[in-house]
Amino acid sequence: MADLESRGIPSVGVATTEFIDAAAVQAKSLGIDPAYVFIPHPVQDRTDDELRALADVHFDSIIALLLKGNQ
Amino acid sequence: MYRGTDLPSDGLIAVVKRDCPTCVLTAPVLGDFVQRTGLAVYTQDDPDFPETVPGRIDDTMLDVSHRLRIEIVPTLIRMRGGQEMDRTYGWDRAEWERVSGLTAIGPDLPMSRPGCGAKNIEPGIIEKLKIRHGETGLASRRIELGGGEDEIEAMFDRGWSDGLPLVPPTEERVLRMLSGTARDPQEVIGLCPPDLVPATVEKIAINAVMAGCKPEYLPVVLAAVEAVLDEPFAMHGVLATTMYVGPVVVVNGAVRRQIGMNAKGNALGQGNRANATIGRALQLVIRNIGGGRPQEVDRATLGNPGKYTYCFAEDEEGSSWEPLSVERGLPQGKSAVTVFAGYGLQGVVDQKSRDPESLSRSFATSLMAVQNVKLAPACDVMIVVCPEHERTFRTAGWSKQRFLTRLHELCEISGEELISGAKGIAEGGPDTLAGKMVKKFRPGGILIVRAGGGAGMFSGIIGGWAASGARGSSPVTKEVKT
Repeated sequence: MADLESRGIPSVGVATTEFIDAAAVQAKSLGIDPAYVFIPHPVQDRTDDELRALADVHFDSIIALLLKGNQ
Repeated sequence: MYRGTDLPSDGLIAVVKRDCPTCVLTAPVLGDFVQRTGLAVYTQDDPDFPETVPGRIDDTMLDVSHRLRIEIVPTLIRMRGGQEMDRTYGWDRAEWERVSGLTAIGPDLPMSRPGCGAKNIEPGIIEKLKIRHGETGLASRRIELGGGEDEIEAMFDRGWSDGLPLVPPTEERVLRMLSGTARDPQEVIGLCPPDLVPATVEKIAINAVMAGCKPEYLPVVLAAVEAVLDEPFAMHGVLATTMYVGPVVVVNGAVRRQIGMNAKGNALGQGNRANATIGRALQLVIRNIGGGRPQEVDRATLGNPGKYTYCFAEDEEGSSWEPLSVERGLPQGKSAVTVFAGYGLQGVVDQKSRDPESLSRSFATSLMAVQNVKLAPACDVMIVVCPEHERTFRTAGWSKQRFLTRLHELCEISGEELISGAKGIAEGGPDTLAGKMVKKFRPGGILIVRAGGGAGMFSGIIGGWAASGARGSSPVTKEVKT
């Protein structure tokens, strides 16, 4: 993400809530403040339909973060 | 020009020690010099030596010897105007006559005798002298402990430890560690994840000290660090994954024997200092240079005991197979490390097979269980073939390549068996697998190493990371450079 942003490409990280701490630690160590959307854990065992429903729920917030500062 | 005022700026200087037979041999010559031309004699070990020189100077602190960069005793130096004009070491009549400008010296002595190693360059002493003279060249910040602090506890408290006690990385120990390599302490080996901090030779040496390494292990540690920091290994991902893996280090070539690594009985187990501390040093580098710690960026669900240390040597002697490093493209005879993102050990027990086909099938059947029998393609694997199993291939004339080819043929499964729900197990792939044959491992995804004791038909499988290959981690081999 740091690499994408440095090239002017907006990015949003999507991860499950289990990775909130990991994202914070990594962002701090690299001195960046990336945009994140955290979704409920877990995702690995979800059916395709469940994943689509999850994506629908978070789609708008992901787009909003991608466009943030450009409107 | 030498610093300090205690060195004569003109005339002859000799540096000697009693513990050197050649110095003892030249004592009469030194006494003769005092009479004929004057001479400053510095004695390294015994202030009463040489008795032939009443005005000898005590250099048991070795500061003058260090300043003069003495390497061999006796050393004879001629100074003029504060500059060194000439020097010779050991005993060689012609050389001593040339340097001193005198003739007919030591007529009763043999023509020449080699000198002895100077005391100021002995390990354990040279480091102290460098520290005292401000010549360490170390860039790392010093950490002073309070008088009442226990140094082992202090290192735990600062978060440097992997959970086991560390060796305190004093300046002296770090300097001694650095003597194990000719590389510049400030050379950057790579950027260490997750914090992407430059891993210098010095920083790596500090971690090697803490891990308990000897200086002669340092080149292997450096090669291992260089290998994991190479892009294809994807150390950042190996660290951050929720899966079990950590770097597994396999050492090939002469360095194995030179530093006393274990490739034989219990090769993957405890008890060998080089095996244990090289793997540990690598993990400490990731922790202390890169900042990679469990439950922070290291998200491993279980991890594995090999994340303390996972390092062993290949048993090359007596093997009919080329070593792993040669298979991976390095010339025969080069010392090398190969790193593989792996975990644990799954046994391959076969005490009945006496032909290579039967034994290959045993290996293949066991390999199908890696990760889950329902998952293919699976991660890369490293197979550790014990000598008694390798013998079966050897006596039948099977090359390593033939064994590998056969394994890839055998490690194949029908798509129907892999589909989610097949065998009553939800884990598995999509319905589109039906009618296909699926390879368990990608081409090049099986590595073979020979190691272990002479008795026991028990080989092992080291499973890898699900993200093997270009989308994750690939094994990396690096030459060990001194």
